Formats: sequence, structure tokens, C-alpha cells
Amino acid sequence: MRRPTKTCPFCETRVRFIDYKDDRTLGRFVTDHGKILPSRLSGVCARHQRQLATAIKKARFLALIPYIRGHQA
Amino acid sequence: MARRYEAVYIFDSSLEDAAINDRITRFHGLLSPSGEPTNDHWGRRQLAYPIGTRETGYYVISRFEAEATTLPEYERALKLDDGVVRYLITLHEHEVGAPPMSEEDMARARGRDDDDDDED
Repeated sequence: MRRPTKTCPFCETRVRFIDYKDDRTLGRFVTDHGKILPSRLSGVCARHQRQLATAIKKARFLALIPYIRGHQA
Repeated sequence: MARRYEAVYIFDSSLEDAAINDRITRFHGLLSPSGEPTNDHWGRRQLAYPIGTRETGYYVISRFEAEATTLPEYERALKLDDGVVRYLITLHEHEVGAPPMSEEDMARARGRDDDDDDED
């Protein structure tokens, strides 16, 4: 059976450049532990996945989203 | 050649608002004055992880046009200021984020949602 095709959520909303300050959107593309979600799972296109990775790294530096989550020291 | 930049400052949240505004005007004074910088104050917000002993920070986003040669001086001032917890300067060449949705976009999005429901 053919898998339903995934479409890039950024292309759908016609985002040209991903905003690194939008922590709510970026938060949807990280795992429960705070790792960047692979495009294989999220369906993000290659162009936006590259932008997304940079945006997440900038947002982490600015303490908008955590580097790691759910870690007990 | 002047280029557009976007800077995010995280100030110590214990600073007075007036002190923060003073600092911003001082920093921007170091840049070549080409166009008025726009400042967007997010205000105090919780940091996603503690930076040193700080749990909250005062966020300010400013956009300005500046000559690249004036940047090192400006960045040095930011680095030396104890009130600035963290800062990030990026080139702002494009509008970022989602464009505002028009009426027909909204209608199309609604239509798509209905289609999805049918498949389920």
C-alpha cells in the first residue's frame, strides 16, 4: 500500500525563511529530549530542514528552547 | 556598504527599564547612524535553562542598518557590559516567519482540513 505523501509544513504556510525567534513553531520540530527531529519523521523539505536546524541552534543559544530536556543530573 | 542587522539582547532581569533603554541607546550610538533602529521589547521572560544563576532575562530585539566597519566596536561594548547576559547579531536580509494569511489562504486551509478528515 502506498504511504500517504507528507508535505512540508513550512511550504504549506508559505514560509520562505524560518524565524529563529519563534520558539513555539521550533518546539514542534524537536523530540521530547530536545533533539532536532529528522525530516524523515516531520516531512520537512530539504531546504527548510537546513534552515530549521540553524534556527533551532540559534534559539537554543538564546535560551528560547532548551538544549536538553528531561535530564536528571 | 550598509547592511541590515537584527540583534537580540538578553539583559539581566534585575536591571531597571530605564537602565536598559540607556544601554540600548549607548550601543546604537556606536553604530553609524543610518536610519532609526527599531526596538521590540519582549520584556522579562523565563530562560529555557539557567544561565549562571539567572533564571529570567529581559529580551530586546532591535533591527538596524549599519556599516560593517562599525560593528567590532559595538560588539566589544556588548561583550564588556555586565548587564548583557547574552546577545546574538544576525544579518537581516529577508523577512522571516510565516506571511500573514489572506482570506483565500484561510479558506483553502479550512478546505484541506476537511479533506484530511474524509481520508480518516
